[in-house]
Amino acid sequence: MPDATESRRNLDAWWGLLLALAAMLCNVVFFVNPPVQRAIPWLSVLLAVSALIFLARGIKRAFGRPRVYHGKILSSIVAALSLLLVSLVFITFFHARAMPTSAAAPRVGQLALDFTLTNTSGQPVSFDQLFAPAADDPKHTAPKKVLLIFYRGYW
Amino acid sequence: MRGVEKRLTEFKAAGVRPVAISVDPPEVSRHFCKKAGYTFTVLSDPKAEVIRRYDLLHVGAGPEGHDVARPAEFLVDSSRVVRWVNFTEDVRVRARADEMLAQAKKLR
Repeated sequence: MPDATESRRNLDAWWGLLLALAAMLCNVVFFVNPPVQRAIPWLSVLLAVSALIFLARGIKRAFGRPRVYHGKILSSIVAALSLLLVSLVFITFFHARAMPTSAAAPRVGQLALDFTLTNTSGQPVSFDQLFAPAADDPKHTAPKKVLLIFYRGYW
Repeated sequence: MRGVEKRLTEFKAAGVRPVAISVDPPEVSRHFCKKAGYTFTVLSDPKAEVIRRYDLLHVGAGPEGHDVARPAEFLVDSSRVVRWVNFTEDVRVRARADEMLAQAKKLR
């Protein structure tokens, strides 16, 4: 007859920590700008939710059946650490997606508003001037389109 | 932006001139472009006037609660008509240079 109180390893909390770490690592991936980057925010959330499931199971085992699964203290520490990581993942997710709606921004087919702004030499540059042929271009070909890239700045 | 600089020749060949716009003053942008080796046009909108008119102002999102532009990209023709636009939903996800180049080639 098998011993009912035979101790078993409780690795769920550790799996939770591993998944939480993986969820955090997703944020580092953006720096390499991979082609799949649109999916990465959702991947981080998926990993964080999986981490929570494993943590819950690990804690339930450690406290529910402490004679079989030991390590109440250790799994609590691991769970606390993982919860901190998971919270950070969720905070980052919502913070990164808290974007203005830009409802009045020009859309495809609409006119882009005219402007004159200052270049890095301190010279004013109008929208029309952007379509002038580049000074270093021997063929003097004018650009057909301008790609306006608005960015956050504060480099 | 690094991707844009890397593919600048391809953008030029496609008849597209990339222009970056932010609230950074000209001297800050000049310093940064020099450091990063960026040769495309970078324009300054320190008071965020154009950014505001384009409805791209992200209030308080910059350091110390400064207003900045949300990342957004517009492909505009010489009649000033917007041909392609991208608004990111996640600040971590930016339009990639190859995506923008593909759009530019498609519209040519």
